[in-house]
Amino acid sequence: MLELKNVKKSYDGTPVLTGISLNIEDGEIVSILGPSGCGKTTLLNLILGIVDSDGGRIIYNGEDITDVPMEKRGFNIVFQDYALFPNLNVYQNITYGLRNNPEISSKEEVEDLIHLLGLEEHLNKRIGQLSGGQKQRAALARTMVMKPKILLLDEPLSALDGVIKESIKDRIKTIAREYNLTTIIVTHDPEEALTLSNRVMIINEGKIAQFGRPEEIIRRPENGFVKKFILNQLEIKKNNIYTLFAGQPAEQVQVC
Amino acid sequence: MRKNREIKLIFALIAVFFAGFLAVPMISVVMKSFTGNGEAASLAHYAEVLTERGFLKALGHSMVISVCSALITTVLAFILAYAIHYTNLGKRYKWLISKAAILPMLLPTITYGFAIIYSFGKQGLLTKLFGRQLFDIYGFNGLLLGYVVYTLPIAFTLVNNAMGYIDKRFMIVSRLMGDSPLQTFRMTILIPLLGTLATSFIQTFFLCFTDFGIPASVGGQYEVVASVLYEEMLGSIPNFGNGAVVALVMIIPSVVSITVLHILEKYNVRYNKISPIELKKGVKRDAVFAVLSGAVIVCTLSMFVVMFAAPFIEEWPYRMNFTLEHVQAVFEDRQLYGVYVNSVMVAVITALAGTLISYGGALVTARSTVNEKLKKVIDSIALVTNTIPGMVIGLSYLFVFTGTPLQNTFPIIIICNIVHFFSTPYLMMKNSLSKMNASWETTAMLMGDNWLKTIVRVVTPNALSTLLEVFSYYFVNAMVTVSAVVFIAGARTMVITTKIQELQYFNEFNEIFVLSLLILFTNLIARAVFRRLAKASKNRQNTAKVYQFSAKKAA
Repeated sequence: MLELKNVKKSYDGTPVLTGISLNIEDGEIVSILGPSGCGKTTLLNLILGIVDSDGGRIIYNGEDITDVPMEKRGFNIVFQDYALFPNLNVYQNITYGLRNNPEISSKEEVEDLIHLLGLEEHLNKRIGQLSGGQKQRAALARTMVMKPKILLLDEPLSALDGVIKESIKDRIKTIAREYNLTTIIVTHDPEEALTLSNRVMIINEGKIAQFGRPEEIIRRPENGFVKKFILNQLEIKKNNIYTLFAGQPAEQVQVC
Repeated sequence: MRKNREIKLIFALIAVFFAGFLAVPMISVVMKSFTGNGEAASLAHYAEVLTERGFLKALGHSMVISVCSALITTVLAFILAYAIHYTNLGKRYKWLISKAAILPMLLPTITYGFAIIYSFGKQGLLTKLFGRQLFDIYGFNGLLLGYVVYTLPIAFTLVNNAMGYIDKRFMIVSRLMGDSPLQTFRMTILIPLLGTLATSFIQTFFLCFTDFGIPASVGGQYEVVASVLYEEMLGSIPNFGNGAVVALVMIIPSVVSITVLHILEKYNVRYNKISPIELKKGVKRDAVFAVLSGAVIVCTLSMFVVMFAAPFIEEWPYRMNFTLEHVQAVFEDRQLYGVYVNSVMVAVITALAGTLISYGGALVTARSTVNEKLKKVIDSIALVTNTIPGMVIGLSYLFVFTGTPLQNTFPIIIICNIVHFFSTPYLMMKNSLSKMNASWETTAMLMGDNWLKTIVRVVTPNALSTLLEVFSYYFVNAMVTVSAVVFIAGARTMVITTKIQELQYFNEFNEIFVLSLLILFTNLIARAVFRRLAKASKNRQNTAKVYQFSAKKAA
């Protein structure tokens, strides 16, 4: 279980996060949702350990990790632009961490991951030859090989289009379920957050505006911000879709 | 198409200019290497030069010293750039490093030589401070020191820029993957920079190999190719044939290095995006790099201290009293003052005409639909001017224009500078123009502008900041170049750098330093002014953009 107790952070005297406290259970998918500049990326960086907090504690499975350096925490991240090494091919990128810790994943486990993410045919390609979705899958595989205790995803879907988006969503869910992996996702898109995660944390101006299951947020928005910016946006989308499909019989859509 | 008529005219003008002032002179060098002072064509000069022990020795010297300097300079440049990008040292300290590292660029190379003599020579400032002479300055040591100071600004600029374009987030990935610090360094800094480091090595090698100013002052008995060429041409018995052969030999390494640079360009790693990160705390690392970079900067600057001190002292090193006598003397000496005015005039006209020509060339290649072959011609001209050392261009002008009305005139010096420095400004212009929206000309034409109006009303205002940078580049380089003008400046058309070369024979070091300071301050002021102007014009563009955007939003 990951626990944050009254965590604070300011940059040059400007507070970015003012006293964040939360609990995340093992195997949960949690989305951090909010407008740009709300502090969600800073929160992600604090959990990962890239930046140090100004106050408060971070506790993982009962152990205080506030002062544990990033590489000792055992968490890992997939960045928004994937940060794949351009001088290595896909397979070399995926197995990059194994050069340092060969015992961390067995050959079979790596093959399972490659299969799960459908990367078999791309292994010898260079990074420049991949599409956005393929890059995302390769970066996900590279991180998963490290068997992180917590997987952090920074805007994992924002650079992808339509159908690819849905398929990556499914892969993220599958991975979290298969490996019982705690997954924390940063996003600015309410639809993405509410359809992908077990619980959603909405942040506004450095504070948690609401933290709950998607249906709770939809049914019982706790304040004006959630209502106005989150629900309103979804309402517009819903109406647009309804207008488009007006008069058509509902059809089961399968995502591959 | 109507539009191409103007472009073709520009192309024709540029082609004729470079045919007359680059192709013909270079061909004449090749001819002269066979015919010499008017004999029948033969390989005699090649045989003579290449079997001469002195020349081969000088060639070996040039290779050895250039390789050593290039290696040292590249390592030092890397250290300075690393201190700026990968340590948590103070902002001011970083600012100081970045400014001090490029300061030597604003001075003629010949001045470094005299600065070395006055710092490390028998009576030098640093020799006095240490109580003994640290090393013999004439020959290998002095040359090495001079070359390193001369090329450090260029190497630093290259490495510093490239480091700025490395996505530092890869360091986080590498650490998360369990890399050791050394592996992280290799994977996220060294490998992405390999291309740049190689470029820096080659570029500095080339500069050392072809420079004339430093060997002229501290070369001593250690003969290099540039000094051989100077002696062949302006020694007691000028030998045109041998000079031409030496010049052609001088081109070979430059051709090789430029070719290698082109191949290397493909290996440069490009990142989609640069993300700034908070660097890991590393007190030891910061301390080490503070000391290392500080040492480099202090060494570089200490050499220039004498330049500021010597002219204000009565008689170095015997009567150490402050005086303005020497400075006054320079300003009162009509001839010396005139030389300064000449230099500034040459630099301004070079900058004006050079900017115009590189702008024209870039318009043809970046903003027109003319035949690819025509574009290739201009690209090749830029490539060729980049490969030919200034001394060789100067020499070829000596061959071709002696006896014509152009001999010993300012226009010939100006043209020589324009041709010699054409490559970088042209590439800067082309780069900037090709980034602009491709449909501007079409849009403007649909609104009723003709081609010229579009260029004046749309393209030029948007290219203004680059135009100013190009102008400033030409100005500074025209002020400091020695190699290009040493063969073609006459008694009436003396510029500062050639005057310094002449003053050397009379040991007039005070005048040399005062003139050098004049160059330095002129360049500092010019750079500051142009940077200010470029920034202002860029800002204006940005605010215009923001305004447009908000207008769109409101609508």
